[in-house]
Amino acid sequence: MANIVVFLCRCFGEIDNTIDFDLLRKELSKDTSVSSLSIVDSLCLETDIEKAAFKINESKADRVLIAACSILSRGNLPVNGLIKEGMERHKIGLVDIREGCAWIHNNDSDGAVKKAKDLLNMGISALQHKEKSEDMSVTVHPDALIIGAGPAGLAAAASLAKTGFKVNILERANAPGGMLRLISQLYPTGEDAANKLNPYIDEVENNPLITLYPQSKIVSIEGYVGNFTVQFASQGKDNSIQSGIIIIATGAKIFFPTGLYRYGEIRNVITQMEIERQFLKGSFDVKKTVFIQCAGARNEERPYCSTICCPASLKNAMRLAEEDPGSEVFILHRGIMTPGNVLEKYYRDALSRGIQFIRFEEERPPRIMGDDHVESVEVYDAVNGITRKIETDLVVLSTPLVPNDDNARLAQMLGIEVDRYGFLSEIYPMHPLETKMDGVLICGSARWPVASDQAILQGKAAAMKAVSYLRQSEIAASTLSRVPGPKSGHARVVPDFCTGCGNCVAACPFDACHLEKTKGRYISKVDMMRCKACGNCVSVCPNGSMQIPEHNYRMVGEMIKWAF
Amino acid sequence: MGVLESRTQIIVREVKMNQPGILVFACKWCGLIGADAAGKKRVSLPARFRVISVECAALVETDAILRALAGGIDGVAVLGCHIGGCRYTNANHASIKRFELLKDLLDTTGIGGKRLLLSFGTAHEYHQFEEIIKNFFDELAVLPPLDPWLSPFGVVS
Amino acid sequence: MLEKTKNIAKQILEEKKADGVLGLMKSRWDIVQPHVFEKPGELDALVLEPKWLLAKLFMSILRSYPEDYRLAVICRGCDERALIELTKRNQIEKETLLTIGIACSQEQAAICLCDRPYPVKLDAGEIASGADPFQDERVREFLIGNDKKRMEKWANVLKRCIKCYGCRNSCPICVCEPCKLEDDVWVQRGAVPAEMITFHLIRAFHLSDTCVACGACQEACPVNIPLLYLQLSMRKTLKEKYGYEAGLDPERKSPILSDFFKEPETGREYPEWINSLRGKDGY
Repeated sequence: MANIVVFLCRCFGEIDNTIDFDLLRKELSKDTSVSSLSIVDSLCLETDIEKAAFKINESKADRVLIAACSILSRGNLPVNGLIKEGMERHKIGLVDIREGCAWIHNNDSDGAVKKAKDLLNMGISALQHKEKSEDMSVTVHPDALIIGAGPAGLAAAASLAKTGFKVNILERANAPGGMLRLISQLYPTGEDAANKLNPYIDEVENNPLITLYPQSKIVSIEGYVGNFTVQFASQGKDNSIQSGIIIIATGAKIFFPTGLYRYGEIRNVITQMEIERQFLKGSFDVKKTVFIQCAGARNEERPYCSTICCPASLKNAMRLAEEDPGSEVFILHRGIMTPGNVLEKYYRDALSRGIQFIRFEEERPPRIMGDDHVESVEVYDAVNGITRKIETDLVVLSTPLVPNDDNARLAQMLGIEVDRYGFLSEIYPMHPLETKMDGVLICGSARWPVASDQAILQGKAAAMKAVSYLRQSEIAASTLSRVPGPKSGHARVVPDFCTGCGNCVAACPFDACHLEKTKGRYISKVDMMRCKACGNCVSVCPNGSMQIPEHNYRMVGEMIKWAF
Repeated sequence: MGVLESRTQIIVREVKMNQPGILVFACKWCGLIGADAAGKKRVSLPARFRVISVECAALVETDAILRALAGGIDGVAVLGCHIGGCRYTNANHASIKRFELLKDLLDTTGIGGKRLLLSFGTAHEYHQFEEIIKNFFDELAVLPPLDPWLSPFGVVS
Repeated sequence: MLEKTKNIAKQILEEKKADGVLGLMKSRWDIVQPHVFEKPGELDALVLEPKWLLAKLFMSILRSYPEDYRLAVICRGCDERALIELTKRNQIEKETLLTIGIACSQEQAAICLCDRPYPVKLDAGEIASGADPFQDERVREFLIGNDKKRMEKWANVLKRCIKCYGCRNSCPICVCEPCKLEDDVWVQRGAVPAEMITFHLIRAFHLSDTCVACGACQEACPVNIPLLYLQLSMRKTLKEKYGYEAGLDPERKSPILSDFFKEPETGREYPEWINSLRGKDGY
């Protein structure tokens, strides 16, 4: 039986006026495991914590029970204060008799004092059975790995190099730049895409801290935060890198609408990428153009808006109108998406240049007329209810960005999830750019379709989040809790009792359990860097050999026994 | 109090005298916030319930629920986070499936699946917590008592 | 059916696909007992009746024989399901499992209240249609009806329990050592009859997704407690909600271990009564 010191906090009379402390003192003095009991006015001020620590050292007790307010209001102050004075976390117990007892049963003092007595009983038995879980720490490799050298990846690399960390970039193509190499001018400023990209490419080529591996293909990824090992093949040579964190900036790809609006069937029906390619070669001559928005997006198959196609159409439409003032441009849309004041001004500029906007409905899409090349477009104008026939030389389809084909494979290698559309998903609800696995960050269009300015911002943000891991020389597993304060523990298995059934392996949301074969039997092992102590493995273990020591089944059983 | 006696008999005797008792397992991120908020607002609740706080509702073992029912506690409530809102990435999905199956078993044997209350995502405001607890007490008052299932024959030594 | 089984077993022994075949033998004085047949000549004494569950015997024989011994087994539907559940739980290696499947007759299925009286790998015998347990009178008394009456009925039956642990010892799925039913946190030591909620319902719930309804627990119980009826409604729920039957598919793990995206309810996104943040289209 452990030696327990009990502190009852009166909270300057808040708890005292409902619960009779003399009765509590009488009841607790009969308990043989309580070595001393003190009633204090408050426990959350600094002087109180010092006095309490002094009393604990004096009485040579091993465990402390504090009965005060709840841990969410001021109850964590004495707990953290005592930890700073040198006590261990699993030897301190906190019982809530203010929000949980005195304040909600203020009209029933008999019931309240009985409840306080029971809660203290539960706290005492919990303290006697609480154990401490193990911890491990890993040395951090102070290098970063970025997969993808588009605008997001390049911005992340530049930021990390500026902070002084070594960066390796893996790129699938043979030159950096991503999709931005295929675009001529950017909105809303109209600057050349190459202008925006070149400073980053120069940085990558000239900075000795950054190494770019073109034409690379990833073979396998293993490890955890601080110590990832990536094997890949680049330009025909096999290679292997160790890094502390991984940033994924693999981007997305354009959807080619084969079959929609007779694309691929007749000539002069093209997509936005093809018109960009045309602009990169030089200006070209076309008298009448029709842009059709939402081609393959915002429908049942892909019910999302890709955010960049409406401003992109405005940009290309205005460029066509500028280069040839006599040309006519129509934009057929289902709602122009230009949020914010800059893009709204952009839209009004387009209107003032004579670009005509016609709204159509999803159920009655425009029809393309023509035999071997497009001659006209027939559209039902939903605003004034008439069908118009527009003669045109060129039809440009605005298609959405869709996820890369090997997103699913990359996600499986890393152990992260993809959402229902195929984009890499971050954890919900509070941590932008972080994923289920610590140390793996996502940014840019791999996460959700964005334009290049947003992609660059996200790349820089991901780099800063990465720095918070890389600047530590050692990471202890108990600090990876994603909230202020350490994890509550790690799951622990008793190897002699484990039957090897594999339930914990299937149930863990973080893939922290795996089976190892020893002496003809399978035994489960917990990877403490991944475990977040959620407790799923504990509930599915058939004979209770997997436990979380701070909340083990003996403690729960005793708490239930003394609950009433 | 430090002496381990046969607690089932004592609990059976106590519960017979008073109104029903509830054991609440509240997850630290959603359920406990509701209980706390109810405290800050000074709502009045009946005193016959005890709260055990856990990290995640997935940590609540079904054996612990059965142990509570066997000890004479009339009802057990598990408060967790919304589906899609568990900070341990969907750890509460599996626990919901498990508890629904346990409700099935309790219904089969006549104990009543109603004695297990599952509230995922509906207890983080003070009035929601108040409603849940009060409704649970009302439901438990009309259920037939658990006496035939509790061990009336004592310990054979 | 008997001749065909004998031939298949003889072939297995002659072609050296296995070192022994586990089956039932009718020895002197017409006594039927399980036997490991190692020579083809011994198979003349093979019989297939009465129903004898060989899954648990298979496991204990493998444990006491040398490690590279290959054992084949003649099994009925429920035996095969139990063996597949054991392979899923890593107690038997899937590659070394060789079964000779025989089907049960309709009379046997009516006695066992079994709705699938044949194994998936069927080698001899004809498929019988099986019996729906929920149509049986005795089952309906225990599972359907007035709550209060049913509770008293179950309590009256369960208070006969003498805590012999026969149900746990004869169940082919129970392999845990130490078992939770012997732990004084959950089950009171020295209390007879066994505490009803903790002993019986903990055992019943631990088997909820792995029970193959073989009836071994019921047959082993010396005081005739209908232990099989405890599992029937949970098996029915798993089948209706997730399309899952224990022991049919060696690749599919139990659906209550994973989240709603990997193992969704058939025809529904989330359970209705749960307040959910993610709507139909994601966030």
